[in-house]
Amino acid sequence: MSGRVIVITSGKGGVGKTTASANIGTALAKAGNKVVLIDTDLGLRNLDLLLGLENRIVYTIVDVVEERCKLKQALVKDKKNPNLCLLAAAQTRDKSAVTQEQLKDICEKLKKDYDFILVDCPAGIEQGFQNAIAGATEAIVVTTPEMSAVRDADRIIGLLEAKEEIESYRLLLNRVRPNLIKSKDMMSVEDVVEILSADLIGIIPEDTGIITSTNKGEPIVNDEKSLAGRAYMNVARRIMGEDIDFMNLEEETSVVAKVKKFFKGLMGKEK
Amino acid sequence: MKDNIFAELYNKILGFFRQTEDASKDVACNRLRVVLMQDRTNLTPQLLERMRKELVELLSKYLEMDKEALELNLDQEGEQMALMLSIPVIRAKDEEEIEKALAETSEENSEDIEENTEETSGENSENIEEESSEDIEEDTEDDTEQDAGSKKADKQSAKPVKKFPNKEICGDCRECELSDDIECEKKNGV
Repeated sequence: MSGRVIVITSGKGGVGKTTASANIGTALAKAGNKVVLIDTDLGLRNLDLLLGLENRIVYTIVDVVEERCKLKQALVKDKKNPNLCLLAAAQTRDKSAVTQEQLKDICEKLKKDYDFILVDCPAGIEQGFQNAIAGATEAIVVTTPEMSAVRDADRIIGLLEAKEEIESYRLLLNRVRPNLIKSKDMMSVEDVVEILSADLIGIIPEDTGIITSTNKGEPIVNDEKSLAGRAYMNVARRIMGEDIDFMNLEEETSVVAKVKKFFKGLMGKEK
Repeated sequence: MKDNIFAELYNKILGFFRQTEDASKDVACNRLRVVLMQDRTNLTPQLLERMRKELVELLSKYLEMDKEALELNLDQEGEQMALMLSIPVIRAKDEEEIEKALAETSEENSEDIEENTEETSGENSENIEEESSEDIEEDTEDDTEQDAGSKKADKQSAKPVKKFPNKEICGDCRECELSDDIECEKKNGV
């Protein structure tokens, strides 16, 4: 078996890299793939929290690199899904504790036993970013329809294009708010895609469920009713090569849509 | 959900009173396009201004124009990048004036330019939308673009774009209305 190594990156912090990693990883595992999530944000680890695995971590990636344990020992199995495991970052060390070569080496080893290796990248474009993309051949660039996030994504895309090993990258547009787009107070999906001239892998609507699911340590894809959860499931299926249409977010916000229709009926002659 | 409904109502009412203003997302898009162009080329506003001044200096040897109104913009459509130069021309200079202006410049420069002089003097249009000479565009990029990894650098230096959005006047002979240099060269038998 030769797995695919996909780095999830963004440049800007707080756009949802780690949430995306946890959810795409879980979704791929739910679809029957063997998946490893690697947290490369040394010193600021959070992927364990989103998966609810924080109490099960014994060894970290630094322990593997410094040969205090075997690679397999450091892989923490997910609570629900035996197909999914996590290689956690060390919380007490900084980015220099793991080199690009070492990370590449770990990815190569994991490729043999797993279908997907997802690398959660730290924010920024410094060494942590360079380390994270070292072993990857594909990238998912997470961004939101905000100016600073789009600008940083453009920078990241430039760096990814300069890197030969990265064969393809696609855009994940996170925290999309259809009602703001409708009132022209937020850049639309098309705007962002045009400005960055990149292919899309998914559109994730803003969903308060993300907050509660993080609180519980359970990725939102496990909640099949949630809109964001379904959107992440679609992303996973697109990664697997399926051709799936992008959701029409306006129609999906069913309750709001109904109330809106009601109001429109009342104020019908407004325009 | 309640929040959503109220937010929407609020937006609608607000939207009613500010229809004349630009939508904030359009402002964002435009600002982003400008800033990304600068990021991708390493052309700072200062450098663009310098380029503008040098172009004014060069072109005013041949044409009398509204120097303040000269506009220089980088634009991108899809993969290709274009340098847009818009100059309101007041009138074309006659041969004497051009000779005089050229005499002031150094001999090296004038040799190159004299060939073009005659062709230019025949030109009498009021508002030319033309592309700055390729050499200038490429030179400026070479100077500023030492970061080889920078995105799109290869793409643009490989293919200087020729785009004439409004009036289309050939950059070489200034007579035919072509946007494609190759065809023009055929016509002139160069």
